[in-house]
Amino acid sequence: MSSNSETFNPFDPTGMLKDMRDASMDAWAKVMVDVVNTDAYADASGAMLDAWLVSSGPFRKAVEDTMKNTLASLNLPSRDEVTRLAERLTNIEVRLDDMDAKLDEVLSACRSSMDNSGN
Amino acid sequence: MNTTTDDSAVGNAVPTFFDVCNEWHKAMERVEKFNRFLTTDAKIAQTPRELVWTLNKAKLYHYIPTVPESQRKQVPLLMVFAIMNRPHVLDLRPGHSFVEYMLGKGYELYLLDWGAPGPEDKNLKFDDYALDYLPRVVRKVKSHSGCDEFSMLGWCLGALISTLYASLRPDDGLKNLILLTAPLDFSERTEGAFTRWTKSNRFNPNIIAQKLGNIPGEMIDSGAKMLKPVENYIGSYTMLWDNIDNPAATEAWHSMNTWVRDIIPMSGAAYEQLINEFYKENRLMEGTLQIRGEQVDLSKLKASLLNVIAESDHITPPCQSERVIDKAGSDDKEVFRVRGGHIGIMAGRGAEKNTWPHIEEWLAKRSE
Repeated sequence: MSSNSETFNPFDPTGMLKDMRDASMDAWAKVMVDVVNTDAYADASGAMLDAWLVSSGPFRKAVEDTMKNTLASLNLPSRDEVTRLAERLTNIEVRLDDMDAKLDEVLSACRSSMDNSGN
Repeated sequence: MNTTTDDSAVGNAVPTFFDVCNEWHKAMERVEKFNRFLTTDAKIAQTPRELVWTLNKAKLYHYIPTVPESQRKQVPLLMVFAIMNRPHVLDLRPGHSFVEYMLGKGYELYLLDWGAPGPEDKNLKFDDYALDYLPRVVRKVKSHSGCDEFSMLGWCLGALISTLYASLRPDDGLKNLILLTAPLDFSERTEGAFTRWTKSNRFNPNIIAQKLGNIPGEMIDSGAKMLKPVENYIGSYTMLWDNIDNPAATEAWHSMNTWVRDIIPMSGAAYEQLINEFYKENRLMEGTLQIRGEQVDLSKLKASLLNVIAESDHITPPCQSERVIDKAGSDDKEVFRVRGGHIGIMAGRGAEKNTWPHIEEWLAKRSE
């Protein structure tokens, strides 16, 4: 009379397959969570990441150099130059925000002095 | 008569060509729907809002109030999400949105979107987020709302930044602070896979940041997914397939998947700081953290504090959020433990029955 026996249908192979799939996935999920929570996994993933960074470094540098030369030959700004420009724009934005803050202060002071003179 | 009865019996047991075609058509429809949900974006973050402030990539939005002015709460609420995800999860979809819920309760809502850092932002640190961006945002919230006090809700790394700000600028008008799944305490070295991974000597965040500049979103995303690889890489899709004919379930899945897929990079310097100063050295809880030369002292945090902990959180295990309540200097503080995961407690099916009402009730008493 359990719920399992109520829902179990021997003539429904897809339902049985689905139950088997869910059960195996639950088991695998638990195993995998245990695996990734080990020091061995942490060391292995750290080593893999390190190896990838080291091995892809020359390739990345070659792409960067090629891109830099291509942009220079086309008389276009390089990535570094655009980055520096973006930094300068951010600095200008910061100054504008500072001015906005000062303006808020001035307006607030004006309002309070007008309120005081009105009283 | 007998012949007719026999025919119908056979007809019921053996599918006709028409039945087979019909089933095939349905199966193809399911495949097409499955493919569409995987490859398209749902409409998320639909609540009307206005942009009131920008700086670099950061944007501050004000949500258009939905209740008359007389019914609105006095103190505005600023929501601060993590720096390596979009904040749309707070306004996931119409009918299931924390933003929509809080607007309905009469809050003036502001949302800080940190934006996606570009190569020029690779040196941004938590110092900049907590002491440069956030104070400017707070000033704008105050001037826009016309209120000198405000409440702040920080989620995940947004909660970490909010905590730093609240401890360093306790007299800035912060009345209430809500921390959601805040990763603050890393003293427990065996709880949580992130802590275990980052303590490994083979893992060097300085080299990663130096080589890559900003940390690619794909790398952060795959790191988060590897915490529960079977659920994230297989289970999520089998769940969609199993519920493909259930519009409510597929709509929820689609909107969540749209948010999950919208990944952004993380500033390299912030990543280094997070791993070295927080995960490895636990400086915040040890009381040795300095932000722009200022000592971060949690006992200086004065705002009323609600600490929301997700009991099944695998990204920020409960032990990483629990101890802040003892360290914070607030007179009024409360812990609220919710059954659910890191995102599920705010965006899952049970959120509007459990988490949102509790947060709203707690905040309502303190927003008049």
